[in-house]
Amino acid sequence: MSTRPPGALWQSLLKQLWLPVLCVAVLLIATAGSTSFYFPPATDVLATLWRELLHGGLVEDLLFSLRNIALGLGLATVLGVGAGLVIGEVELLRQATGPLLDFARATPTVAFVPVIILTLGIGSGPKIFLIALGSLWPILLNTISGVHGINPAVHETARGYRIPWRLRLLKVVLPGALPQIFAGIRVALSIAVVLMVVSEIYGSPVGLGNFILQSGSGFAVPETWAGTVLIGILGYGLSVLLLAAEYVLLGWYHQRPPRVRRTMSRSEVKT
Amino acid sequence: MAISTTDRRPVAPARKRPARRTRAGTPGRRGLLMLQLSAVAAVLVIWAVLAAAGPVSATALPGPVSVFGRFPELFGTSAYWQAVGDTLNGAVTGFVAAAVIGVPLGLVTGTYAAAEQSSRLLVDVLRSFPVIALLPVFLLVLGSTPTMKTTVVLLACVFPVFLQAQYGARSVTPMISETMDSYRIPRRLRFRKVILPSATPSVMTGLRLAATTSVLVAIGVEVLTTLPGIGHEVVQAQQGGAAAQAYAYIITAGAIGYSINLLSQFAERRLLRWRPPAHTD
Repeated sequence: MSTRPPGALWQSLLKQLWLPVLCVAVLLIATAGSTSFYFPPATDVLATLWRELLHGGLVEDLLFSLRNIALGLGLATVLGVGAGLVIGEVELLRQATGPLLDFARATPTVAFVPVIILTLGIGSGPKIFLIALGSLWPILLNTISGVHGINPAVHETARGYRIPWRLRLLKVVLPGALPQIFAGIRVALSIAVVLMVVSEIYGSPVGLGNFILQSGSGFAVPETWAGTVLIGILGYGLSVLLLAAEYVLLGWYHQRPPRVRRTMSRSEVKT
Repeated sequence: MAISTTDRRPVAPARKRPARRTRAGTPGRRGLLMLQLSAVAAVLVIWAVLAAAGPVSATALPGPVSVFGRFPELFGTSAYWQAVGDTLNGAVTGFVAAAVIGVPLGLVTGTYAAAEQSSRLLVDVLRSFPVIALLPVFLLVLGSTPTMKTTVVLLACVFPVFLQAQYGARSVTPMISETMDSYRIPRRLRFRKVILPSATPSVMTGLRLAATTSVLVAIGVEVLTTLPGIGHEVVQAQQGGAAAQAYAYIITAGAIGYSINLLSQFAERRLLRWRPPAHTD
């Protein structure tokens, strides 16, 4: 990367930016004089978003949603990585639980939303539970396959030298599986955002989902769009944050030549 | 081949068996089945104990016996099959539309580096957008119709398909593309014989991911609106106090997702038989 000439950076930036800028411009111009009820001018939407953030209760909604996502995803990560390390290490357990975990992952967590919220209430506890339930599977399955995918030679060497299990876990197994764990967390994040929105639309007095539902059913169109845009920004912002965290934590991994890496670049999408 | 390690579930035991059997202490085919069945049984027992003595009420978590006891009755009703049909209808239509749009677009943008670079940021922003958040907007604009469900499914499925197709087309190594350049292989031939075959595995992965997503989103839409389908039935059953029936529908949804996964894995293996099984590492 550092060997590139200084002009190349600008050039690639320009190449990547022209289309998004064009799209935003087209959007702004096309809706500028819009009198359509459903598609208000984009400037109106942005102004509404700004006003609601500054003076309305939108910041409160945003914080409520963010907290639920953070707690749910955190819980899923702790549980998923913990259980995944155990299942991945014990071959018998891995084989026995295979179909079961596949089934659990294939069950759409959104179907649990009515069951959980109707019985456990509309507070933030059931929502965190739902988010954790949905995010658990990709993290768990990716941890298992990450642990399983560690080169057997490495594994057996660690065993052969009788390296204590704590050290082995921290220095061999966990770092070896970490790239894939992160891939799992990235998938889990998108699921978490979806579950956040669904659970808040289904039953909640606060939150971004509730905000767009309320404004939508009140035919407050600019507010609905503003809330939707904010959720989009939240989704993108969180995934960028996660990538940054991954870059910091996995710097050693990304600096390896691509051939040695086991995972793909950004375009991989995993569910 | 890099695709395999991350996006794939732990490799199906069936494929590994020949290598495994030689190792001492690992079960054979029948032993494995017994092992997996006992794991399922263990989960059912834990579920039963939790439901019977645990801290959760019967409305939140009915026992497995009462849930599975609902199935014979449900199988006889037309409402059950109607709900399954409605959900599948929305999911499949949206999925097919996403494949028709996403695959060609992904292949084209993947072939030309300039197109890929230009669309990168836009696609990144759009794909991290939780489509289900658009639901209130769609309800306003399109109303609560099956078309709306299909549209939401389409939007949710198009990005995995598109990105995997793009990744597949990009996976042609520089050496091969330079060879094609220097032999002046015509564009059509190049597409058919080089780009398409090397992109197919990745495209299949994208389609498999989208298939699972399509059911998930269809059910999500049904939960939140009054559109008929499995999601709606879950809401209705739970509101009517029939928790066991709600769980029966949830398990149905899981079974659909699981079978879609098995089917697409099967299709993938058949379609890509010409290819050495590079996935299985």
